[in-house]
Amino acid sequence: MTAGDVLTAVLLPLGALFTLIGTIGLVRFPTLLGRMHAAAKPDTVGLVLLLLGAACQLPDIRSAAPLALVALFQFVTVPVLAQTLGRVVYSRGETHAEHLVVDELAEALDRSGDADR
Amino acid sequence: MTTIPSGGSSSAVPAQRSWPRRLLGRLPTVLWLTAMWVILWGDPSPGTVIAGLLVGSACYSAAKLPHIPVRLGFRPLAALRLVAVIGYDLFASSAQVALHVLWRPHRTRGAIVAVPMRTDSDFLLAMLSGGLSLVTGSLVIELNRDQGVVYVHGIPIDSPEAAERLRRQVRRTEELFVRAFGTAEDLAEFERHAEPADGEDGGDRRPGGDS
Repeated sequence: MTAGDVLTAVLLPLGALFTLIGTIGLVRFPTLLGRMHAAAKPDTVGLVLLLLGAACQLPDIRSAAPLALVALFQFVTVPVLAQTLGRVVYSRGETHAEHLVVDELAEALDRSGDADR
Repeated sequence: MTTIPSGGSSSAVPAQRSWPRRLLGRLPTVLWLTAMWVILWGDPSPGTVIAGLLVGSACYSAAKLPHIPVRLGFRPLAALRLVAVIGYDLFASSAQVALHVLWRPHRTRGAIVAVPMRTDSDFLLAMLSGGLSLVTGSLVIELNRDQGVVYVHGIPIDSPEAAERLRRQVRRTEELFVRAFGTAEDLAEFERHAEPADGEDGGDRRPGGDS
């Protein structure tokens, strides 16, 4: 068993665990915004760990390069999705005051007379 | 993100430029497309590279992308620091969110805080909101381009102090982005805003007496 095998044996289950937790969060968090946090972050970490674990089993750097592209596109696309959905969720009123400590966007919208809602 | 005007002052492009300069401006995008093509084929032979250049140029002309002059600086050391901090934040916030998922998801609360930005560059703001949505248990909900304020949803937050912590974290991430990718003028403007703003940080935005 080489060092690469050990790394794979650690990284793959860890990545799977993060992905699993992200999915559980998707079900268990009470609000849509909370669910988006669970969907975006632990899943990204899980994917990166899985990719790293898989890269350890590849023969050379050249065949691992496409995995780097996968990670890159995940990093670039997840924020866009999260932001778009987040804004839609907010303007549809799918936020619940009892789950928010502070809502300064509502205060700002009140001040500006709902200009750009 | 709906309020970013597409025709801001920084993207005003002279309509007519000589074709070599236009070609030069498109070269980085075409090179990047070619690099991806070669990586996906997994074979850096001359034939693949030439095919990649052709496909990249064809895609570029088919998409008719507008050419926006990118005005960003790049400081390798600061960029390295940014990557390290974002990587650490991503990991730490994931672990934190994971803990709350398993422990008591129904009582986890968040907050939406307003953070005034100290930079006015379109590119920096776009990069910053991308970076923020990725890490620090935060999600950019709204970006008020006119006033330069981002509204960030954070989780888990259970007290006004934690909301204040989220605000500080956003400002720190902003500083890292400006230092890594800002031009000299961006940096100068940032410093000018930073001095008076730090003392009375959000002092006029105390939340009313909700919990």
